Amino acid sequence: MNKFAALVKLLGEAQVDFVVIGGYAAMLHGSAFLTQDLDICYERSPQNLRRLAAALAPIHPRLRGAPEGIPFSLDERTLAQGMNFTLQTDWIDLDLLGEISGAGQFSDLVRDAESIDVYGAPHLVASLDTIIKSKQAAGRPKDRNALPELEALRELKFRKHK
Amino acid sequence: MTDEEHKELWELIQNPPPGSKIAAAKEFGIDLTLNLRLLLLTPTERAERMNSALEYAIELKQAGAKLPNE
Repeated sequence: MNKFAALVKLLGEAQVDFVVIGGYAAMLHGSAFLTQDLDICYERSPQNLRRLAAALAPIHPRLRGAPEGIPFSLDERTLAQGMNFTLQTDWIDLDLLGEISGAGQFSDLVRDAESIDVYGAPHLVASLDTIIKSKQAAGRPKDRNALPELEALRELKFRKHK
Repeated sequence: MTDEEHKELWELIQNPPPGSKIAAAKEFGIDLTLNLRLLLLTPTERAERMNSALEYAIELKQAGAKLPNE
């Protein structure tokens, strides 16, 4: 199992509520772009924040790119005080997103998310529509460059399921 | 994906309807045959391929970093 799927499995087994989004989600929908980190949109109830922090603790989440010695502990309080976190872990880089421009929060994303099995582990994955909306809203050059492929994929999938 | 669906998607990629997003992506320079190949795989196989490509890219980057500066 690759580290992306292993991390999704780890969070799933800890009963964390989240939706996979970003490049990994796009790849599962058929995108050919490579991604180096896992983006998830997590639910922000205190219970879920506690489960998320506990699940990640064994793989040592820390602020990505921060110099040694910067104090940081990913616990329920830290998660409650922030919204989006760019982290590195012992496995892969991980972005925790409480809210996504153009797409909303977990409760919005989960409505049309798809359950996709990867290595037998169910992944709740943001829909192509949601991924496209988030890329449109982000508007950075790398997001804009990803849009033609994603929009074509949506059209191809629509034809396939016609 | 059935053979019939495969043929239909292949045909669409080769001759996309004018004004479609598929036509726009081709014009943008996206090679949609790569996507079609990925759509023929299971999600697990897609994840495997991405991981292999990523590991290769990281190895290349590390090898490049070891080269002496000119």
